[in-house]
Amino acid sequence: MTQEPMTLPVAVTRPVKPAVKRNSPWLAVVMVLALMYFLLPLYWVLVSITKDNSQLNTTFGLWFAQPWHLWENIVQLGTQDGGIFYRWMLNSFFYSFSSGALATMSAAMAGYAFSKFNFAGRGWIFSVILGTIMVPSTALTLPIFLLINNIGLANTPWAVILPQMVNPFGLYLMRVFWDNGFPTELIEAAKIDGASDWRIFWSMGLPLVRGGLITVFLFTFVAAWNNFFLPLVVLNNNEQFPLTLGLSVWNNTNTGRTPQYTMIILGALVSILPLLTAFFTLGRYWQGGLTTGATKG
Amino acid sequence: MKNNRLTPYLFLAPFLLAFSLFFILPVLYSVYLSFLTRVRNGFAPPTEVFGGFANYARVFTDGDFLASFFNIFLFGAIQVPLMLIFATAFALIIDETQGWLSKVFRTAIYIPYTIPGVIAGLLWGFLYSRNLSPLNYLLSNNGGTPVNFLDSSLLLFSIGNIVTWTWTGYNSVTLYANLQNVSRELYEAAAIDGATGWNVVRYIKLPLLRPALMLTLIFSVIGTAQIFSEPFVLRGIGFVPVNITPNTYIYQIASQDANYSYAAALAVVLALVTFAFSAFFLRYVNRSQSV
Repeated sequence: MTQEPMTLPVAVTRPVKPAVKRNSPWLAVVMVLALMYFLLPLYWVLVSITKDNSQLNTTFGLWFAQPWHLWENIVQLGTQDGGIFYRWMLNSFFYSFSSGALATMSAAMAGYAFSKFNFAGRGWIFSVILGTIMVPSTALTLPIFLLINNIGLANTPWAVILPQMVNPFGLYLMRVFWDNGFPTELIEAAKIDGASDWRIFWSMGLPLVRGGLITVFLFTFVAAWNNFFLPLVVLNNNEQFPLTLGLSVWNNTNTGRTPQYTMIILGALVSILPLLTAFFTLGRYWQGGLTTGATKG
Repeated sequence: MKNNRLTPYLFLAPFLLAFSLFFILPVLYSVYLSFLTRVRNGFAPPTEVFGGFANYARVFTDGDFLASFFNIFLFGAIQVPLMLIFATAFALIIDETQGWLSKVFRTAIYIPYTIPGVIAGLLWGFLYSRNLSPLNYLLSNNGGTPVNFLDSSLLLFSIGNIVTWTWTGYNSVTLYANLQNVSRELYEAAAIDGATGWNVVRYIKLPLLRPALMLTLIFSVIGTAQIFSEPFVLRGIGFVPVNITPNTYIYQIASQDANYSYAAALAVVLALVTFAFSAFFLRYVNRSQSV
């Protein structure tokens, strides 16, 4: 699924947990069983990348086989089709970073406008944008393709980057951060000191809503990194593919050559490492984005 | 002290420009396209002329498309509640337990969310494949018959498993984050009243989770309507009907048949139906909150 639900981070004061904690053996059993289910495919990946195709077919999938072929798979992943895998990885980084940066900046600016200015059309423009949060993004993919095709942007990086920078929920999130994180009195004081609107926004405001910026960036980045449908329809040239699209092409048996499965599995693992790393290092921001606004309506 | 009237619009400009170009305009353009109909001209290439509601009339008599809708209704009716029940249970378990197992559990169940749908589909595709599946290996070595996970009777469940695997942990952690907002006084008051274990869950935690659960439900409904990558990559290992979901069918119409006007009509209908569903649930949330 490509819908990336982001929910509203409220300024949470972590409440002290109640003292009552239970560690019943039944709960431990449930957790272990669930862990096995959730980690099974990843464990299988770690086993499979040490095999070659024939071992993959003939040996038990959940245990290692001799001899190991891990190094061969690593070498092949780097050299297959002229080393295009790392090109795809670079593309994925470039697309996701660009979409994320543009989404964050535009949402921060627009959120600032809605939060700190009164202007004609403020109410209805915000309502229209909010209303579109419920529009499924893949329902837009085909229309975007038709449009992009028409204006000659197909097969350019813009075709992937620009549609993904539109993040209505990001705007909503930033507005909440501006409302709560940047007091209007500060703006007035700065104006008396003669600071320009841009300077107030850029130098004073942005550092105060850093949490919102990182959250919007992360979620846009992940959505773009994981996106498959959009690049599938707007890109033709495999030099421009992101990882998701490239790997699925490699895995396709209809191309006439036998896919080198264990290398593809290694590629799949490499392709999820960046997000895993981000998840473990930026954990608190993910949590921030997860604290839902549902309790506030 | 200057207060330029233009300033707010300058701040709005980048977002509004991108929003209009890549959100509003595609929607309007596909609505426009959906009213065109393709006309054959003998040996000359077909042309597109205004055809009124002809495409829409076709949508509602297109058995393949209606079947794809039936598939995701069935999918949504089974997978979504099942996933949310598990997600709620896991959230409560995380909230009730402590120690290293609890921490590992909380982290590990979230990992699948960081894996792209297409990669998840690819990995599960291997685990489903007739030759590679460890389950089939065990079965056939013990005299059983291998399971064909892509059999038409199992296919939706196989896709449902991938989606459940990807999203359950994400939803759990979302729900858990909401449980953290419960104030300590509430638990203390409950303890004074003699409420224990299950009663706290039943009368305090579950009611508090309700709004968050409804929001999760809406996002799951939207997500269900959009399923594309998972069935799309499963085609690599076996036969998957092109109309397994509305999105795979629309993709087929656009990419193979190149019938953009009809594909546009299908996309408009899909968006409207999804929108109607989520609006319905949202209304329900608001009503249940005001009670």
